[in-house]
Amino acid sequence: MNCEQAQQLFDAYLDGELSPSLATELGAHRLRCPECRRALALLEVTGHVLTAYDDRVSLKEGFEDRLLACVDDRSSFRQRFRRAMYILGPLAAAAVITMAFLGAFDRNPGRWAGEKVQAKDSAGLDRLWQELDETADAEKGEAVDPRALELDRWGRKMQKNLQSFQDLTIYQWLDVLEKAKDSSAPEDHFPGADPSGEPEPEDDLLIEDVVGGGR
Amino acid sequence: MASISRELEKQLIERARLREQGAMRELIELHKDRLFAFLWRMIRNHHDAEDICQDAFLKAFASLESFSVQYRFSTWLFTIGYRICLNRLRSKRAINSDTDVFTSTPSGDESSGEATLESREAAELRKTVWQAVDRLSAPQRATVLLFYRHEMSCREIARILELPVATVKSHLHRARKRLREIIESLSEKELQEFRSLSGLAG
Repeated sequence: MNCEQAQQLFDAYLDGELSPSLATELGAHRLRCPECRRALALLEVTGHVLTAYDDRVSLKEGFEDRLLACVDDRSSFRQRFRRAMYILGPLAAAAVITMAFLGAFDRNPGRWAGEKVQAKDSAGLDRLWQELDETADAEKGEAVDPRALELDRWGRKMQKNLQSFQDLTIYQWLDVLEKAKDSSAPEDHFPGADPSGEPEPEDDLLIEDVVGGGR
Repeated sequence: MASISRELEKQLIERARLREQGAMRELIELHKDRLFAFLWRMIRNHHDAEDICQDAFLKAFASLESFSVQYRFSTWLFTIGYRICLNRLRSKRAINSDTDVFTSTPSGDESSGEATLESREAAELRKTVWQAVDRLSAPQRATVLLFYRHEMSCREIARILELPVATVKSHLHRARKRLREIIESLSEKELQEFRSLSGLAG
């Protein structure tokens, strides 16, 4: 065995992975060769120092307490956030939908005065949505489209049921609400006519006024 | 070095997943010293090492749900700690690109032994070797520390460093070669002392 071959075995020897026969060969070479003897001894001693040395450095007192306090802070924040999203998430979605409907109706003041709008079922609500989508956005403060009011009324019902039904699709919600609806509700009337004719004087109706007034 | 059976560790982890303080505290106490020692040797700053140690535990507890009990908790913890450490080293290097992060003399965190000739010589020897370790690259240094100080196998080290086993062995080989070169480059006097302390023939 020459020095180059011997040095290739150093790592395996230091890792204790050398077979007995190769270990014997290496040992024999080591006895004959001062250079390899010195090199291997240096590595062995370095390993002993690295293994044996006590760093004598330690964490500051109270490390566990500080750490656990951080864990508490983070987990309670996470729990609060999750709880908030569970409640606020669906509410926010409902609010967006409601606002979208309110923003889409035709604000031509007084146009719908006297008209009754009622959605009896999910198909009826579909039609309302479609009509509102086709209606231009109106200025703030103008008369409230009764179609929007009806959708708002349904929206408020939906909001109350959101936590229970948040996994349902919108149509499933509507079907559930339909089943819970008062069966004596009058048949629906839909404004079928185009918005034409002279605009009525402005009428600052608020949703609460109309909805609170009952149907 | 504290260690517990796999079964006990699994139970602790299950309880820690439920945010049981007692279990988390026990896991911290079992692993904090070893982790801190490793991180301190990597980053060579007490405050940073403690910071990283805390971060590693926090991240480990935060993602306990995804921890697979087929591995040891220590392996996972060291992996997280090593990753954070590497990021910190990189950012230090980016800020102080002209400065060697690892000074030739330790920052005074090491305490000295008793004031006897023998202890002084032993302390000098240790200082020489550890200074040589400080001059290794981060992966080589991590490999040396985990292999010698924490007595981990190459397979475990490979998991922690997220490298193939062959790469770990390569790092170990190059680290040993580099350590030998650094120690051999010492002055003849220091080398004589080194030899006499290690019982080498002339």
